[in-house]
Amino acid sequence: MIVAQAREIQIDVDRVAPAASPLALVRRRINGRYVVDPFGFDPDIADLASPVVSATVHIDVEGTEHIPASGPAAMIMNRGFGFVEPTAVSLAVRRAVGRRLRVVGLPGVPFVNGVALRFGAVSAEVGDVASALRAGHLLLLPLAQSWLRTGAGSSPLALLQAMRAYPVLPVAVRPSGPLGLPLRWSVRIGAPLETDRTYPIDDPLAAAELGENVRQNVEKLLGRSVT
Amino acid sequence: MTEKARVLVTGMGGVLGTRVAQLLEARGEIAEIHGVDFVPPRRRLRKAVFHRIDPRHRDRLRDFVIEYAPTHVVHFGVYEPASRMSPGAAAERSEQCTATALAAAARAGSLEGVVMRSGIEVYGSGRGHALVPDESVPPAPRTGFGKTLLRVEAIASAVGRRNDVPVASLRFAPIVGSHVPSPLGRLLRLPLVPVSAFSDPTFSMLHPEDACRATVQALVQAADGPINVVGPSAVTPWQAARIGGRIPVPILPIGWGGAASATELLGAAIAPHIIELLRYGRTACPSRGLDLLGQGRVRSTPEVLRELFEWAEIVPIESVREAA
Repeated sequence: MIVAQAREIQIDVDRVAPAASPLALVRRRINGRYVVDPFGFDPDIADLASPVVSATVHIDVEGTEHIPASGPAAMIMNRGFGFVEPTAVSLAVRRAVGRRLRVVGLPGVPFVNGVALRFGAVSAEVGDVASALRAGHLLLLPLAQSWLRTGAGSSPLALLQAMRAYPVLPVAVRPSGPLGLPLRWSVRIGAPLETDRTYPIDDPLAAAELGENVRQNVEKLLGRSVT
Repeated sequence: MTEKARVLVTGMGGVLGTRVAQLLEARGEIAEIHGVDFVPPRRRLRKAVFHRIDPRHRDRLRDFVIEYAPTHVVHFGVYEPASRMSPGAAAERSEQCTATALAAAARAGSLEGVVMRSGIEVYGSGRGHALVPDESVPPAPRTGFGKTLLRVEAIASAVGRRNDVPVASLRFAPIVGSHVPSPLGRLLRLPLVPVSAFSDPTFSMLHPEDACRATVQALVQAADGPINVVGPSAVTPWQAARIGGRIPVPILPIGWGGAASATELLGAAIAPHIIELLRYGRTACPSRGLDLLGQGRVRSTPEVLRELFEWAEIVPIESVREAA
């Protein structure tokens, strides 16, 4: 997935690359010869912020062998604090396979949306999720909001329908600092889920079954009994 | 496509219509090519025959098409506002040309396929719209041009359904080239380029040659349904201006009317669909179009942009004389 943006720059927007020197970055900003993919992702800015994020968010990871080294896939995770969990999973993927994770969902605030897109967010519109998977990206879809509870929640049906043709991996993220404080994060990645191929690809019942399957697997990874 | 194919090219006088006619001339399986438009082609055509008929003269257009009885229609009689005419005239000509030419072609009784020009403007952009829609996303245009394209697509689909023939609606990204009259191309070549003050959204473009090749491939392969034809990758308005060495001028949301008046004075009128592109972006999932044209054979958006700016170079006449 190479994006040839300018005569002298070729950047693969799917794979992490060494950050360019600050002087080169400034020069690219001035003459416009930097890379932006159709979803608005700007690898230069993401790579610039990466060392700061790595130093701030500490993670323990299990199950990295399940992350696909290339090709489209969707990772579905629980959510508690909102933005820290996706950051923790992004770091885990970056370290394990050197891929850039595209987080589905925008805050819905003008200007902040634009910044999130530059860092690799993808809007939660069904068309965008389908296009991102078709383009070969690795997506992270946080389940419905469950503030400070780190529960699995339920999955948006329409989005699950868009990802039925691709590998789906359950992911659990929870604080693992002393006394459960969010000073350190535990990321557990499960094996790709089996999907029932007997349903037509756009069958809503199949998407609902996939959603339930994901919820159960995320609960298991969180170490809870499945209800 | 049979060996006795008779192709009608509407909008043949435009740069794209003329080039499509040239590409069709090179194919052996086409027996006859006739075209109509309100202006004549600007390139030499060896085999194709041009008929100067304004789409607003509906009786003349209908009589000609019924008499010719085409087996295939390449419908380029869809005109972009502020490209060669005002938004009102463009919408009127586009709808009249579509309704009259396609209905007459169907009535003539030989129709086997239609390929028509549309655009990714049909998806609309802004809040609640997908940033990179694929063909399954329901169109929800917000500008006059987008709505015209949707009406034109609906007319063509109805003709296809009623006559059981494939109708391919090629949803092109903004076509920008050194020789193509395009409001976006003109705007980007101004010394000062208006950009949104609060956002820098992405947009994609398409090279005119790729648009013409896609049209011929869709005709030959009897493609059916909507197909996004978009140059891979994207740029932002700010970035596009800087690549061309232009100065981006941030515009507040209430200032676009003034910006449009100012650029019109400078010779580059901005139609509402261009303002929508600059404020909210415009791109689409290119997968189906790339399958049609062949992966790796479509010029990327930055390449299209580079070609637009490089064309500005002027060779001094003195140098040529010295060389002689």
